[in-house]
Amino acid sequence: MLLSYATFLSSSDEPFCKQVANYTMNVVLDTEGDTITGEEFLTWTNDTEYPAEELWFHLYWNAFKNNMSTYMIESRRRGRNPTDFAMDDWGYCRVDSIFLIDEENFEEFDLSPAMAFRQPDDDNVLDQTVFSVRLPRPAEPGQTVELRISFLAKVPRPISRTGVYKDNYFIAQWFPKIGVFEDGKWNCHQFHSSSEFFADYGTYDIKITIPSSMVVGATGEHREITDNGDGTTTHRFYQHSVHDFAWTASPHLLEFKEDFEFAAGKMTEITLLLQPYHTKLKDRYMNAVKNAIRYSSLFYGDYPYTTATCVDPGYNSRSGGMEYPTFFTGGAYFITRKRDDSPEGVTIHEFGHGYFYGLVGNNEFENPWMDEGFTSFLDTEVYYAAYQNPLYTKRYFGIPVSFPEVEIPIESDGISSHRQTWNMDDMQRFAWKFMEGESYGANSYSKGELTLRTLKRYMGPDLFADMIKSYSQRWWFKHPKPKDFYEVVSEFAGQDMSWFLDQFVYGSGKLDYAIDRITSERIIQQEGWFGGGYIDGSPKNRETEAYESEVLVRRLGEVKLPIEVLVVFEDGSEFLENWDGQYRWKKFTYAGPARIARAVVDPEFKLVIDINRTNNSMTQKSNKTAPIKWTSRWLLWLQHAMEFFTVFGG
Amino acid sequence: MKVFINFVKGFKITGRVIRMLILLFVINLAFSMILAVPMYRSLEESLGNSLAGERMAEGFDYLWWQEYRDDARGLEKTFTPTIIGKGAILDNMESLIQMQVFDLPPAVLVFGILYIILHTFLAGGILSVFRKGEFQFSMRSFFKGAGAHFFRFFWLMILSWMFFLIIGTGVKSGLNSILDGIRDTAFSEITPFYLGIAFSAVVFFLILFVQMVFDYGRIKIVLEDSPNVLASAAGAFGFVFRNLGSTLGLFYLLFLVQIFFTLLYILIQGVIPQSTFFGVAMAFLCQQIFVFGLIGIRCWLYSSQMELYRYLK
Repeated sequence: MLLSYATFLSSSDEPFCKQVANYTMNVVLDTEGDTITGEEFLTWTNDTEYPAEELWFHLYWNAFKNNMSTYMIESRRRGRNPTDFAMDDWGYCRVDSIFLIDEENFEEFDLSPAMAFRQPDDDNVLDQTVFSVRLPRPAEPGQTVELRISFLAKVPRPISRTGVYKDNYFIAQWFPKIGVFEDGKWNCHQFHSSSEFFADYGTYDIKITIPSSMVVGATGEHREITDNGDGTTTHRFYQHSVHDFAWTASPHLLEFKEDFEFAAGKMTEITLLLQPYHTKLKDRYMNAVKNAIRYSSLFYGDYPYTTATCVDPGYNSRSGGMEYPTFFTGGAYFITRKRDDSPEGVTIHEFGHGYFYGLVGNNEFENPWMDEGFTSFLDTEVYYAAYQNPLYTKRYFGIPVSFPEVEIPIESDGISSHRQTWNMDDMQRFAWKFMEGESYGANSYSKGELTLRTLKRYMGPDLFADMIKSYSQRWWFKHPKPKDFYEVVSEFAGQDMSWFLDQFVYGSGKLDYAIDRITSERIIQQEGWFGGGYIDGSPKNRETEAYESEVLVRRLGEVKLPIEVLVVFEDGSEFLENWDGQYRWKKFTYAGPARIARAVVDPEFKLVIDINRTNNSMTQKSNKTAPIKWTSRWLLWLQHAMEFFTVFGG
Repeated sequence: MKVFINFVKGFKITGRVIRMLILLFVINLAFSMILAVPMYRSLEESLGNSLAGERMAEGFDYLWWQEYRDDARGLEKTFTPTIIGKGAILDNMESLIQMQVFDLPPAVLVFGILYIILHTFLAGGILSVFRKGEFQFSMRSFFKGAGAHFFRFFWLMILSWMFFLIIGTGVKSGLNSILDGIRDTAFSEITPFYLGIAFSAVVFFLILFVQMVFDYGRIKIVLEDSPNVLASAAGAFGFVFRNLGSTLGLFYLLFLVQIFFTLLYILIQGVIPQSTFFGVAMAFLCQQIFVFGLIGIRCWLYSSQMELYRYLK
């Protein structure tokens, strides 16, 4: 006997935007063979001014089909050999049939004879992560086509945030997914080692049949649960106005739900799917999600969806730290310290992607900094607003030990990787075209974050806050490009800001201003016989000392920004100078009764992306206490090490 | 009971040779200063006349350290926030147990090896003083004893390194392989974590056991003037295994003393403010008392072990 249980959330089914690519699917997970058999009904609307003669699709899982896919080749080039796969460990997605449905005439056209694998990025004929089908008639602008696709997806061993480990399934990028048709062409890249994804917004109405023992979580609202009476249960998930759908299933997950009011009258249901060995982290995870929703809504616009599902990834599942619309994974270790930002850091970051990539749907293949950089900026802004500064923490034998003396400031985020990679690539680059993986990471995440933080301090926090919120909300459910961000920044700044942004987005120079020297020399007073008589210039006769002082500021990098220089004298007087930062150096000279005590470039630390902050300041006298203090503390480590390691001798 | 008797006796004997402890401490400090000078210069150069110097005088400027770390070469890489307080001790423990000593910068590694050889030389002097039982420490007799036994102690040290090599490349590698296999198939990180702790404890126990055995080897050489290094080592193994309870009991009793002393140091140093020159000086004094104490405990171990050896023989 079949039992049905239906649950409806109090949500509106009114989409937030035009639904271009809508998926209705029935899929069955076979845990014996680790396969997903699916029937997919796709309605796709040509939302452009151009006719579409073909349809292009992603089959991302074919990147794991063999070792000659573009993904595998690029991974090996980067020194990563992601597989020691046995026969059953590989994954793939196979289209068994694809029909064009003509509802008007009650006909179906078999499109499979017109299927062809495409390699638009590298001509690797063995890569099958993109295919196309030719339509019998072009889909005209505004026309909607409906397709019925049967497919079989083989779940791989965990790789690239998807796969199965023991009985823990994390399923992402798993179905035939239509590309994006824009400007008369298909934007449908192959799956690369360092790329992510790009798709159109639509409605996902997915029924997943899995063993009844399993707990399942997915994108969107969990609308129906039907016990099929044969040991399986069908779960229906529904979400409109998103561009992806992922899910997880495991018999071990613990499910916690909480309705959260993140702003007056604004609610969302938080679902936390927790590993049983992480129950002590439940409150930390929950609070991290709440803080992420609360502050992101404040900074970037009220979170529009009715659900947010956070998954604590299973051990060895390799699914941690990843994002999908309304559904994301965190990551934590079972022992953690109060201020070592785990699981908060990654949870806030992955939720943040719900805004940048989720709501603001940039092309992750072509403009990776527009989601990774924005989200890295978002996660630190949220974290530092919600929590105390994290402490430096190191693990000894797996046990985290925090160092209370060492707080980690927000300005530290991203600067180290930028320092190592600043001259490798421009920030704006297709994801797979960076010099190497390290450069992709540093430019997409770190430099993007640093650029935004520098922009924020340059514009001023209030103006920047208005700008970023406007940009975010203006581009929800759309696909912005860099110029679109430029426009909003310039609008709020009241001037064309390409002179600022181009240097970071389309440049690979470093920003480094430095105080090169400060000098104060006593002005030589007159002494001796002059026309009017003898002038006694001996010290006892001098009324006041006078000094001629000079500060030399240098631009050591290629990036040119206007800067401030603070000069402080020993008598307490101060001068705040402005320099346009264009030429290689600038001197500031003074005459007065006191010597310079110190000079500081960028005293308010606006230029967070400055690669060398130590040279931003100079004092007349060096502080001897610091090197002595820290040498003596380091000495203890050395002396202890020497005594400790005499275990190897006498 | 015999453990405790010799534990107390060893303490009294060590207490009577404070001048020797001071000599050993001065050697440790002087040797350390050889690397401390370039480290000081590096920090001084990096901090320069910058305001980072003022911030580092008052606390720990993470942003400055990030920059320093990103450009660090050689010895500079050893300067991390973990040198603060308990971190220094934990860093060294982890380096030892995880056999990460070869990850240290070459300068530190070479320096460390030289110090180990030097300490092997000094061990001869220490044991000679304890053997005589006169407790009238003189530099002349100390170094005479050191010289007299150095050749045999050196070869004993080389022999011990073979055992350490077996522990490192054999036992530890084997345990790591087991751990990797378990990690690859574990349901959660908990089992690998506890196994990792257990395996580290096994490695640590083995390292300390080998150290203890070769301590008795050295004691045997000094007390019996044994010319044969291999025979002395074999004899030491035999002695330990015949008196396992007593030898291990004494060793771990002193190990507990060291742990307690270390914890005390960590507590005390944590409350000393170091933003002024006076604070820095007080902290330095506290540090050096700690190092002096460690040296004292090492000598206490030697004297206790020698007394236990005599007692059981």
